Amino acid sequence: MLGWLIKKSPLYEQVKQFNAVALPALTTPARQCNYLAIDLEMTGLHARQDHIVSIGWVPIVKQQIELNQAKHFLIKPPVSVGQSAVYHGVHDKDLKNASELSDVLQQLLTDYPGYLFLAHHCRLDRAFLQLAFQRQYGKAPRMQFIDTLNIEWHRMQKQGTVMKKDALRLPQCLQRYNLPISAQHHALEDAYSCALLYLTQLKKSHPDITLGDILQQSS
Amino acid sequence: MEVTEVSKFLARTTPFDQLDSAQLAELALQLSVYYCQAGENVEITHERLLIIRTGIFALYSDQQQLLTKLEEGDFYGYQLLLTGLADNDQLVCEEDGLLFWLPADAFHQLRYQYKNIDIFFQRLFGRRLHQYKEQQSSRFTLKVSDIVQARKVSISGEHSVQQAAQLMTEKRVSSLLVEQDERLTGILTDRDLRTRVLAANLPATTPVQQVMTPKPHTIDKHAYLFEAVQLMSRFNIHHLPVLEQGLSFSMITATDIIRSQQDHPVYLIGEIHRQASIDGLEQCALQINNLALVMGKQQVPAHEAGHIITTITDALTQRLIKLAQQELGPAPCVFSWLCFGSQARMDQSINADQDNALLLEKEPNGIVGDYFAKLADFVCQGLARCGIKLCPGNIMASNPELRMSLKGWSGKFAKWISSPSPDAILKASIFFDMRVVEGSKGLFNALQQDILARTNHALFLMQLTQTSLQRTAPLSFLRNFILEHDGKQKKGLDLKKRGISLITDIVRVYALANGITEVNTRQRLQQLAAIGVIDSKESQNLSDAFDVLAQLRWDKHLHDIAQGHDASNLLDPAVLSGLQRHQLKDSFAVINNAQSSVKHRFCKEM
Repeated sequence: MLGWLIKKSPLYEQVKQFNAVALPALTTPARQCNYLAIDLEMTGLHARQDHIVSIGWVPIVKQQIELNQAKHFLIKPPVSVGQSAVYHGVHDKDLKNASELSDVLQQLLTDYPGYLFLAHHCRLDRAFLQLAFQRQYGKAPRMQFIDTLNIEWHRMQKQGTVMKKDALRLPQCLQRYNLPISAQHHALEDAYSCALLYLTQLKKSHPDITLGDILQQSS
Repeated sequence: MEVTEVSKFLARTTPFDQLDSAQLAELALQLSVYYCQAGENVEITHERLLIIRTGIFALYSDQQQLLTKLEEGDFYGYQLLLTGLADNDQLVCEEDGLLFWLPADAFHQLRYQYKNIDIFFQRLFGRRLHQYKEQQSSRFTLKVSDIVQARKVSISGEHSVQQAAQLMTEKRVSSLLVEQDERLTGILTDRDLRTRVLAANLPATTPVQQVMTPKPHTIDKHAYLFEAVQLMSRFNIHHLPVLEQGLSFSMITATDIIRSQQDHPVYLIGEIHRQASIDGLEQCALQINNLALVMGKQQVPAHEAGHIITTITDALTQRLIKLAQQELGPAPCVFSWLCFGSQARMDQSINADQDNALLLEKEPNGIVGDYFAKLADFVCQGLARCGIKLCPGNIMASNPELRMSLKGWSGKFAKWISSPSPDAILKASIFFDMRVVEGSKGLFNALQQDILARTNHALFLMQLTQTSLQRTAPLSFLRNFILEHDGKQKKGLDLKKRGISLITDIVRVYALANGITEVNTRQRLQQLAAIGVIDSKESQNLSDAFDVLAQLRWDKHLHDIAQGHDASNLLDPAVLSGLQRHQLKDSFAVINNAQSSVKHRFCKEM
């Protein structure tokens, strides 16, 4: 029992260290915060039984997407990626250079404490990530997610726009703002698209909008 | 790993389109992406390269003049990166868009690593459309200095013809420069010794100055070789003293020229001067298009091609005047055959029409009037038969209103200048680019001096400036449509009306304001910079922009005639290469800026 604790403690420490870096106060102007747009591709929709196939991310610092920190990882699967492989365009043979999920998680913890996480329809990505951290570290770090889909919904509601079916899907959102549209269902491309959308949303909000306001729109 | 959406964009953007996928990926990884909203000022004081991904951005000069609009694939910031000198430009987002920033060190690394990318940005900066091999001396562009050596063989006029003959034998030359106090006073040739000494039975002690040809025609060492050919053909001479800064430098002979270029197509000029009929001239003129195509193959730059084509038109005119005089007899008085517009500026294109007139020593009445009416008809109709179209505006010597005495012309110009109406100025501006093609230079100089003494006239310059501002350069060509100032979209771009002429017009205003006698636009610009009227950077910018536009038009004309079409000034922007598109836009920005300066300078009261 004690041995188990000691064995897990360095990892647990990393989560603690990540959590120890305070997030910006809710009154901070949202344009000054740092963000990490992140996207996961999975074998299915259920965090408990499906697996993460790939993870892509790209940070936003001072309203600029920094492509030099853009990352894309193929994750080694515990079993064959099976049926959903065709859908994601990832095959077992592509996975030779794949990363261990644990290494990727660790990189997130080391490089991005104090960042706010961005995803379009973040529920699934968050669930998979949290479970992965849980399994790996025994505890999930406190990650504050911002959902660009919710913000978009909020914006459109406010403008009184009649929403067509699919209006909130990522490609439709990009198109609305004349943003370039990437290949879909690729973790990095989608993370980049999400970052572009967020930059736009941020620009189109009041210049002094606070992080608190954003979180409210995002929930 | 790079974002594919970004690297794909780079892959279709000049000059990055020449990188392979690994290199593109590396480049994509160095960018920062920024979203800009309409109305926002873009931060451009940092040293970094701005690449427009989407949206429209308006570039303003420090005088708030709209210079150009930047759109997808356009750059900003390379000027500062290459020179360290900032322009006080302002870049304002007009339509929401994405910007990519490439940091300075990455930009320099890229230039260092890829020669072509470096050349691209250097050229974009220097607005040089084509890079000519420095050492390549084409047959057309050979200069006198390329074939004659600094081998001055001279004698003073007091020496005897025998001493001259001994010197010629010793130096193995067929002619001598005759000098007095280092000034050229004449030349003496083998033939002179035979015909003027031996045949005339003069003694060997006869002084050289008694038998030499005094005041010979000369040519500057920096003149084109074809100009030497032109002079020799025109005056039927075989020896031309070559001068360097007014002092004799060497001698060039017909043999030198033949030896240097046996099959030179510019022998066309020689041919022209040998023709005895209009039919013959017409046959010669048929070769002009072929000549142009050969010049194109040899990558003769546009301004040199323009010079050559003008020289041919000059030769046709001179020969026609000779032929007319053979028919009509000698002229009853001294005259100057004038040309205007592009022929005067020595930048004629192959689709140019005639613009000419006659300046006469006497009033065009009675015999004088009849004679020159016939001469003008003969020459103008002759030029038309040689493919140089009659002027639709009737600016031709065949128009009786354009055959006047010095007094008549002087009065006409004085009226334009002292009571300028906008309409009159619009029609008259072409007359202010003027050159003498044949006849009396003195008469012409008198008229030119008379005009230039009047042109520094505020109201006149203001009207002339306003006329020059009536047309503007396009701001942008979105999706290959020209975006006009008033937002109208038009397919096809008139390189002359929307580009070349605008520069010519601006430069003319400055030249007339400052009594510059040069007519050629590039030479006017050099002069204006030399006397400090416009700063050398602006002069260089305008000269570069002029070259870019003239080159595009020349290439377009060559393309047209190669296809068997008439040469047209209308260009479809879709056919431009990435570099050409950038340079064209940049040239338009230079024009917009220059229009703003000239307006500021001459239209202050408005």
